[in-house]
Amino acid sequence: MKSLEYAIETRRLNISYGDDRVIKDVDMKIPKKTVFALMGPSGCGKSTMLRAFNRILELNKDAKVSGEIRLFGENIYGPGVDPTEVRKETGMVFQYPNPFPHLTVFENVAIGLRLNKLVKSRDELEDRVHWALEKAALLEEVRDRLKNYPSELSGGQKQRLVIARALAMKPKILLMDEPTANIDPIGTRKIEELLFELKREYTIVLVTHSPAQAARVSNHVGFLYLGELIEVGKTGKIFESPGSELTEKYLTGELI
Amino acid sequence: MWKYDTRKIKEKLFLIAVAALTILAVFPLFHIVFTVFYEGIGTIMATGPTFITGTLGEGGIGPAIVGTLMLTLLSSIIGIPIALAVGIYAYEYPNSRIGKITTTLLQIMLEFPTILVGLFVMQLIVIPTGSYSVIAGALALAIIMMPYVAVYTAESMSQIPFTFREAAFGLGVNRAKSVFMIIAPIAKRGILTGLLISTAKVAGETAPLLFTAGGLYQSYPHSLTEPVGSISLLIYTLVQSPSAADHQMAWGAALVLMVIFLTVFIPIRMSLKEVKL
Repeated sequence: MKSLEYAIETRRLNISYGDDRVIKDVDMKIPKKTVFALMGPSGCGKSTMLRAFNRILELNKDAKVSGEIRLFGENIYGPGVDPTEVRKETGMVFQYPNPFPHLTVFENVAIGLRLNKLVKSRDELEDRVHWALEKAALLEEVRDRLKNYPSELSGGQKQRLVIARALAMKPKILLMDEPTANIDPIGTRKIEELLFELKREYTIVLVTHSPAQAARVSNHVGFLYLGELIEVGKTGKIFESPGSELTEKYLTGELI
Repeated sequence: MWKYDTRKIKEKLFLIAVAALTILAVFPLFHIVFTVFYEGIGTIMATGPTFITGTLGEGGIGPAIVGTLMLTLLSSIIGIPIALAVGIYAYEYPNSRIGKITTTLLQIMLEFPTILVGLFVMQLIVIPTGSYSVIAGALALAIIMMPYVAVYTAESMSQIPFTFREAAFGLGVNRAKSVFMIIAPIAKRGILTGLLISTAKVAGETAPLLFTAGGLYQSYPHSLTEPVGSISLLIYTLVQSPSAADHQMAWGAALVLMVIFLTVFIPIRMSLKEVKL
Protein backbone atom coordinates (compact mmCIF):
# COMPACT_ATOMS: atom_id res chain seq x y z
CA MET A 1 0.00 0.00 0.00
CA LYS A 2 2.97 2.27 0.52
CA SER A 3 3.48 2.55 -3.21
CA LEU A 4 0.22 4.48 -3.51
CA GLU A 5 2.09 7.46 -2.15
CA TYR A 6 4.01 7.67 -5.39
CA ALA A 7 2.74 8.79 -8.77
CA ILE A 8 5.27 6.66 -10.59
CA GLU A 9 7.41 3.86 -9.30
CA THR A 10 9.73 1.69 -11.35
CA ARG A 11 10.98 -1.69 -10.19
CA ARG A 12 13.97 -3.32 -11.85
CA LEU A 13 13.06 -1.49 -15.02
CA ASN A 14 15.05 -2.62 -18.04
CA ILE A 15 14.56 -1.39 -21.58
CA SER A 16 16.44 -2.59 -24.63
CA TYR A 17 16.41 -2.04 -28.36
CA GLY A 18 17.39 -5.43 -29.76
CA ASP A 19 20.64 -6.31 -27.97
CA ASP A 20 21.22 -2.74 -26.89
CA ARG A 21 20.32 -2.20 -23.23
CA VAL A 22 19.40 1.44 -22.80
CA ILE A 23 17.84 1.40 -19.32
CA LYS A 24 19.50 -0.81 -16.72
CA ASP A 25 17.78 -1.97 -13.52
CA VAL A 26 16.25 1.34 -12.62
CA ASP A 27 14.37 1.56 -9.31
CA MET A 28 12.93 5.01 -8.94
CA LYS A 29 10.06 6.65 -7.07
CA ILE A 30 8.41 9.84 -8.24
CA PRO A 31 6.24 11.56 -5.60
CA LYS A 32 2.84 13.07 -6.38
CA LYS A 33 2.23 16.70 -7.29
CA THR A 34 5.77 17.70 -7.90
CA VAL A 35 8.07 18.51 -10.77
CA PHE A 36 10.45 15.61 -11.17
CA ALA A 37 13.34 16.36 -13.51
CA LEU A 38 14.97 13.44 -15.26
CA MET A 39 18.32 14.80 -16.35
CA GLY A 40 21.35 13.43 -18.07
CA PRO A 41 23.49 13.88 -21.15
CA SER A 42 22.11 13.14 -24.63
CA GLY A 43 21.60 9.48 -25.35
CA CYS A 44 21.45 8.40 -21.71
CA GLY A 45 17.98 6.89 -22.13
CA LYS A 46 15.82 9.56 -20.52
CA SER A 47 13.43 10.00 -23.45
CA THR A 48 13.13 6.24 -23.78
CA MET A 49 12.28 5.88 -20.11
CA LEU A 50 9.71 8.68 -20.33
CA ARG A 51 8.03 6.89 -23.23
CA ALA A 52 7.78 3.74 -21.17
CA PHE A 53 5.71 5.63 -18.56
CA ASN A 54 2.75 5.87 -20.94
CA ARG A 55 3.61 2.81 -23.03
CA ILE A 56 4.03 4.95 -26.12
CA LEU A 57 7.38 3.22 -26.50
CA GLU A 58 5.39 0.36 -28.02
CA LEU A 59 5.20 2.34 -31.27
CA ASN A 60 8.82 1.28 -31.64
CA LYS A 61 8.69 -2.42 -32.42
CA ASP A 62 12.31 -3.05 -31.35
CA ALA A 63 11.84 -1.74 -27.83
CA LYS A 64 11.50 -4.34 -25.08
CA VAL A 65 10.50 -3.45 -21.55
CA SER A 66 10.90 -5.69 -18.52
CA GLY A 67 10.33 -5.05 -14.86
CA GLU A 68 7.49 -2.96 -13.47
CA ILE A 69 6.26 0.56 -13.81
CA ARG A 70 3.57 1.43 -11.29
CA LEU A 71 1.34 4.47 -11.80
CA PHE A 72 -0.39 5.21 -8.48
CA GLY A 73 0.34 1.65 -7.42
CA GLU A 74 -0.88 -0.14 -10.54
CA ASN A 75 1.63 -1.96 -12.73
CA ILE A 76 0.93 -0.65 -16.23
CA TYR A 77 2.86 -3.55 -17.75
CA GLY A 78 0.72 -6.06 -15.88
CA PRO A 79 -1.51 -8.52 -17.76
CA GLY A 80 -4.78 -7.14 -19.08
CA VAL A 81 -3.77 -3.49 -18.91
CA ASP A 82 -5.02 -1.52 -21.90
CA PRO A 83 -2.28 0.87 -23.04
CA THR A 84 -4.81 3.37 -24.39
CA GLU A 85 -6.28 3.74 -20.90
CA VAL A 86 -2.79 4.36 -19.49
CA ARG A 87 -2.20 7.04 -22.12
CA LYS A 88 -5.42 8.85 -21.31
CA GLU A 89 -4.19 9.31 -17.75
CA THR A 90 -0.76 10.57 -18.77
CA GLY A 91 -0.55 13.64 -20.96
CA MET A 92 2.54 13.99 -23.07
CA VAL A 93 4.45 17.01 -24.37
CA PHE A 94 7.22 16.59 -26.90
CA GLN A 95 10.59 18.03 -27.74
CA TYR A 96 9.35 19.50 -30.98
CA PRO A 97 6.03 21.37 -30.56
CA ASN A 98 3.61 19.19 -32.49
CA PRO A 99 0.07 20.54 -32.57
CA PHE A 100 -1.82 18.78 -35.36
CA PRO A 101 -1.29 21.04 -38.39
CA HIS A 102 -4.60 20.23 -40.07
CA LEU A 103 -6.71 21.20 -37.06
CA THR A 104 -7.59 24.65 -35.73
CA VAL A 105 -6.41 25.83 -32.32
CA PHE A 106 -9.78 24.86 -30.86
CA GLU A 107 -9.89 21.46 -32.55
CA ASN A 108 -6.36 20.67 -31.44
CA VAL A 109 -7.45 20.88 -27.83
CA ALA A 110 -10.76 19.15 -28.54
CA ILE A 111 -9.46 16.21 -30.59
CA GLY A 112 -8.53 13.91 -27.71
CA LEU A 113 -11.92 14.48 -26.09
CA ARG A 114 -13.75 13.94 -29.35
CA LEU A 115 -11.94 10.80 -30.49
CA ASN A 116 -12.21 9.25 -27.03
CA LYS A 117 -15.83 10.39 -26.66
CA LEU A 118 -15.16 11.98 -23.28
CA VAL A 119 -17.66 14.83 -23.47
CA LYS A 120 -21.40 14.61 -24.00
CA SER A 121 -22.33 17.96 -25.49
CA ARG A 122 -20.95 20.79 -27.56
CA ASP A 123 -21.22 23.12 -24.55
CA GLU A 124 -19.24 20.75 -22.39
CA LEU A 125 -16.61 20.49 -25.11
CA GLU A 126 -16.29 24.27 -25.41
CA ASP A 127 -16.06 24.68 -21.65
CA ARG A 128 -13.36 22.04 -21.42
CA VAL A 129 -11.33 23.52 -24.30
CA HIS A 130 -11.46 26.99 -22.75
CA TRP A 131 -10.56 25.55 -19.38
CA ALA A 132 -7.56 23.71 -20.82
CA LEU A 133 -6.32 26.76 -22.74
CA GLU A 134 -6.67 28.84 -19.57
CA LYS A 135 -4.73 26.23 -17.57
CA ALA A 136 -1.99 26.28 -20.19
CA ALA A 137 -1.82 30.10 -19.92
CA LEU A 138 -2.66 30.43 -23.58
CA LEU A 139 -6.32 31.49 -23.61
CA GLU A 140 -5.68 35.25 -23.54
CA GLU A 141 -3.33 35.02 -26.51
CA VAL A 142 -5.55 32.90 -28.73
CA ARG A 143 -9.07 33.91 -27.66
CA ASP A 144 -9.73 35.55 -31.04
CA ARG A 145 -7.82 32.94 -33.00
CA LEU A 146 -9.51 29.71 -31.95
CA LYS A 147 -10.50 29.05 -35.57
CA ASN A 148 -7.01 29.71 -36.92
CA TYR A 149 -4.37 27.10 -37.59
CA PRO A 150 -1.44 26.48 -35.26
CA SER A 151 1.09 27.32 -38.00
CA GLU A 152 0.37 30.98 -37.12
CA LEU A 153 1.45 30.57 -33.51
CA SER A 154 4.97 31.10 -32.17
CA GLY A 155 6.99 28.09 -31.03
CA GLY A 156 6.24 28.80 -27.38
CA GLN A 157 2.53 29.21 -28.09
CA LYS A 158 2.48 25.94 -30.04
CA GLN A 159 4.08 24.18 -27.11
CA ARG A 160 1.50 25.62 -24.69
CA LEU A 161 -1.19 24.51 -27.15
CA VAL A 162 0.21 20.99 -26.92
CA ILE A 163 0.13 21.30 -23.12
CA ALA A 164 -3.52 22.40 -23.34
CA ARG A 165 -4.25 19.43 -25.61
CA ALA A 166 -2.80 17.13 -22.95
CA LEU A 167 -4.55 18.90 -20.04
CA ALA A 168 -7.95 18.72 -21.74
CA MET A 169 -7.88 14.98 -21.14
CA LYS A 170 -7.61 15.68 -17.38
CA PRO A 171 -4.58 13.46 -16.89
CA LYS A 172 -3.00 12.84 -13.51
CA ILE A 173 0.54 12.90 -14.82
CA LEU A 174 2.23 15.12 -17.40
CA LEU A 175 5.24 13.69 -19.21
CA MET A 176 7.41 16.33 -20.84
CA ASP A 177 10.26 15.43 -23.15
CA GLU A 178 12.59 18.44 -23.26
CA PRO A 179 9.63 20.75 -23.85
CA THR A 180 11.75 23.88 -24.19
CA ALA A 181 14.54 22.47 -26.35
CA ASN A 182 13.20 24.18 -29.46
CA ILE A 183 11.68 27.27 -27.85
CA ASP A 184 13.15 30.78 -27.57
CA PRO A 185 14.14 32.15 -24.11
CA ILE A 186 10.91 34.10 -23.55
CA GLY A 187 8.77 31.14 -24.53
CA THR A 188 10.91 28.94 -22.30
CA ARG A 189 10.36 31.23 -19.32
CA LYS A 190 6.59 31.17 -19.83
CA ILE A 191 6.55 27.38 -19.96
CA GLU A 192 8.73 27.13 -16.86
CA GLU A 193 6.41 29.51 -15.00
CA LEU A 194 3.51 27.38 -16.12
CA LEU A 195 5.13 24.32 -14.54
CA PHE A 196 5.04 26.05 -11.14
CA GLU A 197 1.30 26.48 -11.50
CA LEU A 198 0.63 23.00 -12.82
CA LYS A 199 2.52 21.08 -10.16
CA ARG A 200 -0.14 22.00 -7.59
CA GLU A 201 -2.50 19.58 -9.30
CA TYR A 202 -0.37 17.35 -11.49
CA THR A 203 2.69 15.21 -11.24
CA ILE A 204 5.11 16.43 -13.86
CA VAL A 205 8.02 14.41 -15.18
CA LEU A 206 10.33 16.68 -17.08
CA VAL A 207 13.13 15.28 -19.20
CA THR A 208 15.91 17.79 -19.64
CA HIS A 209 19.53 17.78 -20.70
CA SER A 210 20.10 21.06 -18.88
CA PRO A 211 21.04 20.90 -15.18
CA ALA A 212 20.24 24.62 -14.98
CA GLN A 213 16.65 24.00 -16.00
CA ALA A 214 16.36 21.11 -13.57
CA ALA A 215 17.61 23.41 -10.81
CA ARG A 216 15.15 26.17 -11.76
CA VAL A 217 11.94 24.18 -12.00
CA SER A 218 12.16 20.85 -10.24
CA ASN A 219 11.55 19.69 -6.67
CA HIS A 220 13.04 16.28 -7.23
CA VAL A 221 15.63 15.17 -9.67
CA GLY A 222 16.97 11.92 -11.04
CA PHE A 223 20.33 11.73 -12.79
CA LEU A 224 20.55 9.15 -15.51
CA TYR A 225 23.87 8.23 -17.08
CA LEU A 226 24.32 5.57 -19.78
CA GLY A 227 21.06 3.95 -18.78
CA GLU A 228 21.76 3.77 -15.08
CA LEU A 229 20.13 5.83 -12.40
CA ILE A 230 23.14 7.36 -10.67
CA GLU A 231 21.34 9.45 -8.13
CA VAL A 232 17.84 10.53 -7.19
CA GLY A 233 16.49 12.86 -4.53
CA LYS A 234 15.40 16.38 -3.63
CA THR A 235 16.73 18.90 -6.11
CA GLY A 236 18.21 21.22 -3.46
CA LYS A 237 20.09 18.43 -1.81
CA ILE A 238 21.51 16.96 -5.00
CA PHE A 239 22.65 20.29 -6.37
CA GLU A 240 24.24 21.32 -3.05
CA SER A 241 25.90 18.06 -2.17
CA PRO A 242 25.80 15.44 -4.89
CA GLY A 243 26.37 11.95 -3.55
CA SER A 244 28.26 10.74 -6.56
CA GLU A 245 31.31 12.00 -8.36
CA LEU A 246 29.56 11.47 -11.72
CA THR A 247 26.68 13.71 -10.68
CA GLU A 248 29.09 16.39 -9.58
CA LYS A 249 30.92 16.20 -12.90
CA TYR A 250 27.64 16.46 -14.77
CA LEU A 251 26.45 19.43 -12.73
CA THR A 252 29.70 21.29 -13.27
CA GLY A 253 29.54 20.68 -16.99
CA GLU A 254 32.44 18.28 -17.24
CA LEU A 255 30.23 15.52 -18.59
CA ILE A 256 28.54 16.20 -21.87
CA MET B 1 40.86 40.01 -60.66
CA TRP B 2 40.85 37.49 -63.47
CA LYS B 3 39.90 34.73 -61.04
CA TYR B 4 36.77 36.61 -60.12
CA ASP B 5 35.82 36.95 -63.76
CA THR B 6 36.10 33.28 -64.66
CA ARG B 7 33.89 32.49 -61.71
CA LYS B 8 31.26 34.90 -63.00
CA ILE B 9 31.50 33.55 -66.51
CA LYS B 10 31.18 29.99 -65.29
CA GLU B 11 28.08 30.92 -63.37
CA LYS B 12 26.53 32.61 -66.41
CA LEU B 13 27.34 29.65 -68.66
CA PHE B 14 25.83 27.28 -66.17
CA LEU B 15 22.66 29.35 -65.95
CA ILE B 16 22.35 29.45 -69.72
CA ALA B 17 22.86 25.69 -69.94
CA VAL B 18 20.18 25.05 -67.32
CA ALA B 19 17.76 27.44 -69.01
CA ALA B 20 18.36 25.84 -72.40
CA LEU B 21 17.80 22.34 -71.04
CA THR B 22 14.64 23.47 -69.29
CA ILE B 23 13.28 24.93 -72.50
CA LEU B 24 14.23 21.75 -74.34
CA ALA B 25 12.37 19.70 -71.76
CA VAL B 26 9.14 21.70 -71.73
CA PHE B 27 9.15 22.52 -75.45
CA PRO B 28 7.38 19.28 -76.49
CA LEU B 29 4.63 19.99 -73.97
CA PHE B 30 3.96 23.45 -75.39
CA HIS B 31 4.23 22.10 -78.88
CA ILE B 32 1.59 19.47 -78.17
CA VAL B 33 -0.74 21.97 -76.52
CA PHE B 34 -0.29 24.43 -79.38
CA THR B 35 -0.70 21.87 -82.18
CA VAL B 36 -3.78 20.31 -80.63
CA PHE B 37 -5.33 23.71 -80.13
CA TYR B 38 -4.38 24.96 -83.62
CA GLU B 39 -5.62 21.88 -85.45
CA GLY B 40 -8.65 21.24 -83.25
CA ILE B 41 -10.15 24.70 -82.98
CA GLY B 42 -10.91 24.82 -86.76
CA THR B 43 -12.89 21.58 -86.62
CA ILE B 44 -14.89 22.64 -83.59
CA MET B 45 -15.62 26.11 -85.00
CA ALA B 46 -16.79 24.61 -88.31
CA THR B 47 -19.26 22.22 -86.64
CA GLY B 48 -20.37 24.46 -83.79
CA PRO B 49 -22.00 23.23 -80.55
CA THR B 50 -23.10 20.04 -82.30
CA PHE B 51 -19.48 18.89 -82.06
CA ILE B 52 -19.90 18.59 -78.29
CA THR B 53 -23.49 17.34 -78.17
CA GLY B 54 -24.09 15.45 -81.40
CA THR B 55 -23.46 11.81 -82.29
CA LEU B 56 -20.79 10.82 -84.79
CA GLY B 57 -23.38 10.71 -87.58
CA GLU B 58 -24.28 14.33 -86.80
CA GLY B 59 -20.60 15.31 -86.80
CA GLY B 60 -20.22 15.33 -83.03
CA ILE B 61 -18.46 13.39 -80.27
CA GLY B 62 -21.15 13.64 -77.57
CA PRO B 63 -21.35 9.88 -76.83
CA ALA B 64 -17.56 9.71 -76.49
CA ILE B 65 -17.54 12.57 -73.96
CA VAL B 66 -20.31 10.93 -71.93
CA GLY B 67 -18.51 7.59 -72.24
CA THR B 68 -15.25 9.03 -70.91
CA LEU B 69 -17.08 10.59 -67.96
CA MET B 70 -18.95 7.35 -67.19
CA LEU B 71 -15.81 5.23 -67.41
CA THR B 72 -13.79 7.63 -65.26
CA LEU B 73 -16.52 7.92 -62.65
CA LEU B 74 -17.23 4.20 -62.41
CA SER B 75 -13.55 3.24 -62.33
CA SER B 76 -13.02 5.77 -59.52
CA ILE B 77 -15.95 4.34 -57.57
CA ILE B 78 -14.54 0.83 -57.93
CA GLY B 79 -10.86 1.65 -57.55
CA ILE B 80 -10.46 4.48 -55.06
CA PRO B 81 -11.92 2.90 -51.90
CA ILE B 82 -9.92 -0.30 -52.38
CA ALA B 83 -6.76 1.60 -53.26
CA LEU B 84 -7.04 3.89 -50.23
CA ALA B 85 -7.46 0.88 -47.97
CA VAL B 86 -4.45 -0.84 -49.57
CA GLY B 87 -2.34 2.33 -49.31
CA ILE B 88 -3.19 2.82 -45.65
CA TYR B 89 -2.45 -0.85 -44.97
CA ALA B 90 0.93 -0.60 -46.71
CA TYR B 91 1.73 2.48 -44.58
CA GLU B 92 0.51 1.01 -41.32
CA TYR B 93 2.10 -2.44 -41.65
CA PRO B 94 5.20 -1.85 -43.77
CA ASN B 95 7.17 -4.67 -42.14
CA SER B 96 4.50 -7.35 -42.07
CA ARG B 97 4.71 -10.10 -44.67
CA ILE B 98 1.52 -8.98 -46.41
CA GLY B 99 2.66 -5.35 -46.20
CA LYS B 100 5.94 -6.16 -47.95
CA ILE B 101 4.23 -8.25 -50.63
CA THR B 102 1.68 -5.48 -51.17
CA THR B 103 4.36 -2.84 -51.59
CA THR B 104 6.26 -4.96 -54.13
CA LEU B 105 3.09 -5.80 -56.04
CA LEU B 106 2.11 -2.13 -56.19
CA GLN B 107 5.50 -1.19 -57.64
CA ILE B 108 5.10 -3.85 -60.32
CA MET B 109 1.51 -2.86 -61.09
CA LEU B 110 2.57 0.79 -61.50
CA GLU B 111 4.65 -0.12 -64.54
CA PHE B 112 2.48 -2.96 -65.80
CA PRO B 113 1.67 -2.71 -69.54
CA THR B 114 -1.88 -1.38 -69.68
CA ILE B 115 -2.79 -3.42 -72.73
CA LEU B 116 -2.26 -6.60 -70.72
CA VAL B 117 -4.77 -5.30 -68.19
CA GLY B 118 -7.21 -4.88 -71.08
CA LEU B 119 -6.61 -8.46 -72.21
CA PHE B 120 -7.09 -9.75 -68.68
CA VAL B 121 -10.43 -8.00 -68.22
CA MET B 122 -11.53 -9.19 -71.64
CA GLN B 123 -10.90 -12.78 -70.53
CA LEU B 124 -12.59 -12.12 -67.21
CA ILE B 125 -15.74 -10.28 -68.30
CA VAL B 126 -16.10 -9.62 -72.01
CA ILE B 127 -15.79 -13.22 -73.18
CA PRO B 128 -18.07 -14.76 -70.50
CA THR B 129 -20.78 -12.10 -70.97
CA GLY B 130 -20.35 -11.99 -74.74
CA SER B 131 -20.31 -8.21 -74.89
CA TYR B 132 -18.10 -5.17 -74.43
CA SER B 133 -19.44 -3.06 -71.58
CA VAL B 134 -19.01 0.01 -69.38
CA ILE B 135 -18.34 -2.31 -66.45
CA ALA B 136 -15.52 -4.12 -68.27
CA GLY B 137 -13.92 -0.84 -69.36
CA ALA B 138 -14.25 0.68 -65.90
CA LEU B 139 -12.77 -2.40 -64.25
CA ALA B 140 -9.74 -2.28 -66.54
CA LEU B 141 -9.26 1.41 -65.73
CA ALA B 142 -9.75 0.76 -62.01
CA ILE B 143 -6.96 -1.85 -62.07
CA ILE B 144 -4.65 0.70 -63.66
CA MET B 145 -5.68 3.42 -61.25
CA MET B 146 -5.39 1.53 -57.97
CA PRO B 147 -1.59 1.23 -57.66
CA TYR B 148 -1.16 4.97 -58.23
CA VAL B 149 -3.67 5.88 -55.55
CA ALA B 150 -2.28 3.29 -53.14
CA VAL B 151 1.37 4.28 -53.64
CA TYR B 152 0.62 8.01 -53.33
CA THR B 153 -1.41 7.37 -50.20
CA ALA B 154 1.24 5.24 -48.52
CA GLU B 155 4.05 7.60 -49.54
CA SER B 156 2.39 10.80 -48.43
CA MET B 157 1.39 9.26 -45.11
CA SER B 158 4.88 7.95 -44.45
CA GLN B 159 6.25 11.46 -44.94
CA ILE B 160 4.25 12.73 -41.97
CA PRO B 161 6.72 13.15 -39.09
CA PHE B 162 6.62 10.38 -36.49
CA THR B 163 6.00 12.91 -33.72
CA PHE B 164 2.36 13.37 -34.84
CA ARG B 165 1.82 9.66 -34.52
CA GLU B 166 3.27 9.73 -31.03
CA ALA B 167 1.06 12.70 -30.20
CA ALA B 168 -2.06 10.88 -31.39
CA PHE B 169 -1.25 7.72 -29.46
CA GLY B 170 -0.23 9.82 -26.46
CA LEU B 171 -3.79 11.11 -26.25
CA GLY B 172 -5.04 7.56 -25.79
CA VAL B 173 -6.43 7.49 -29.31
CA ASN B 174 -6.53 3.95 -30.70
CA ARG B 175 -4.61 2.87 -33.76
CA ALA B 176 -7.45 2.99 -36.28
CA LYS B 177 -8.58 6.45 -35.22
CA SER B 178 -4.99 7.75 -35.18
CA VAL B 179 -4.50 6.64 -38.76
CA PHE B 180 -7.87 7.66 -40.19
CA MET B 181 -8.65 10.76 -38.15
CA ILE B 182 -5.19 12.25 -37.68
CA ILE B 183 -2.42 10.92 -39.93
CA ALA B 184 -4.47 10.59 -43.13
CA PRO B 185 -5.99 14.11 -42.81
CA ILE B 186 -2.52 15.61 -42.28
CA ALA B 187 -1.43 13.85 -45.48
CA LYS B 188 -4.60 15.01 -47.24
CA ARG B 189 -2.87 16.99 -49.96
CA GLY B 190 -0.60 14.16 -51.06
CA ILE B 191 -3.46 11.67 -51.03
CA LEU B 192 -5.75 13.93 -53.08
CA THR B 193 -2.93 14.62 -55.53
CA GLY B 194 -2.61 10.87 -56.05
CA LEU B 195 -6.36 10.62 -56.62
CA LEU B 196 -6.30 13.43 -59.18
CA ILE B 197 -3.27 12.21 -61.07
CA SER B 198 -4.67 8.72 -61.33
CA THR B 199 -8.11 9.97 -62.36
CA ALA B 200 -6.52 12.17 -65.01
CA LYS B 201 -4.44 9.24 -66.18
CA VAL B 202 -7.35 6.86 -66.63
CA ALA B 203 -9.51 9.57 -68.24
CA GLY B 204 -6.98 9.61 -71.09
CA GLU B 205 -6.17 5.88 -71.29
CA THR B 206 -6.75 4.04 -74.56
CA ALA B 207 -5.08 0.64 -74.57
CA PRO B 208 -7.04 -0.96 -71.70
CA LEU B 209 -10.31 0.07 -73.37
CA LEU B 210 -9.56 -1.50 -76.75
CA PHE B 211 -10.87 -4.96 -75.82
CA THR B 212 -13.18 -3.97 -73.00
CA ALA B 213 -15.24 -0.87 -73.80
CA GLY B 214 -15.74 -1.58 -77.47
CA GLY B 215 -16.81 1.87 -78.60
CA LEU B 216 -20.17 3.55 -79.14
CA TYR B 217 -20.41 6.78 -81.08
CA GLN B 218 -23.68 6.76 -83.03
CA SER B 219 -25.86 6.87 -79.92
CA TYR B 220 -25.54 7.74 -76.25
CA PRO B 221 -24.75 4.93 -73.81
CA HIS B 222 -27.73 3.96 -71.65
CA SER B 223 -26.66 0.81 -69.86
CA LEU B 224 -23.62 -0.32 -67.87
CA THR B 225 -23.66 -3.73 -69.54
CA GLU B 226 -23.50 -2.44 -73.09
CA PRO B 227 -20.54 -1.13 -75.11
CA VAL B 228 -19.36 2.40 -74.54
CA GLY B 229 -16.97 4.80 -76.26
CA SER B 230 -14.41 7.21 -74.94
CA ILE B 231 -12.70 10.26 -76.38
CA SER B 232 -9.28 8.64 -76.50
CA LEU B 233 -10.65 5.48 -78.05
CA LEU B 234 -12.50 7.57 -80.64
CA ILE B 235 -9.31 9.46 -81.52
CA TYR B 236 -7.53 6.13 -81.99
CA THR B 237 -10.30 4.87 -84.30
CA LEU B 238 -10.54 8.09 -86.32
CA VAL B 239 -6.81 8.42 -86.91
CA GLN B 240 -6.70 4.89 -88.35
CA SER B 241 -9.23 5.88 -90.98
CA PRO B 242 -7.81 6.99 -94.35
CA SER B 243 -10.23 9.91 -94.63
CA ALA B 244 -8.86 13.44 -94.01
CA ALA B 245 -12.23 14.49 -92.56
CA ASP B 246 -11.87 11.82 -89.87
CA HIS B 247 -8.40 13.10 -89.04
CA GLN B 248 -9.80 16.61 -88.57
CA MET B 249 -12.49 15.16 -86.32
CA ALA B 250 -9.76 13.46 -84.27
CA TRP B 251 -8.00 16.81 -83.77
CA GLY B 252 -11.28 18.28 -82.54
CA ALA B 253 -11.76 15.38 -80.11
CA ALA B 254 -8.16 15.79 -78.94
CA LEU B 255 -8.82 19.44 -78.15
CA VAL B 256 -11.94 18.51 -76.14
CA LEU B 257 -9.93 15.93 -74.18
CA MET B 258 -7.21 18.46 -73.48
CA VAL B 259 -9.66 21.16 -72.40
CA ILE B 260 -11.45 18.74 -70.07
CA PHE B 261 -8.11 17.83 -68.59
CA LEU B 262 -6.91 21.40 -68.15
CA THR B 263 -10.16 22.90 -66.86
CA VAL B 264 -10.93 20.12 -64.42
CA PHE B 265 -7.55 19.20 -63.02
CA ILE B 266 -5.47 22.36 -62.94
CA PRO B 267 -7.92 24.40 -60.79
CA ILE B 268 -8.52 21.48 -58.42
CA ARG B 269 -4.83 20.81 -58.10
CA MET B 270 -4.10 24.48 -57.40
CA SER B 271 -6.92 24.85 -54.90
CA LEU B 272 -5.77 21.93 -52.74
CA LYS B 273 -4.75 23.57 -49.53
CA GLU B 274 -1.46 22.45 -48.12
CA VAL B 275 -1.36 21.50 -44.48
CA LYS B 276 1.42 23.65 -43.07
CA LEU B 277 3.63 21.64 -40.74
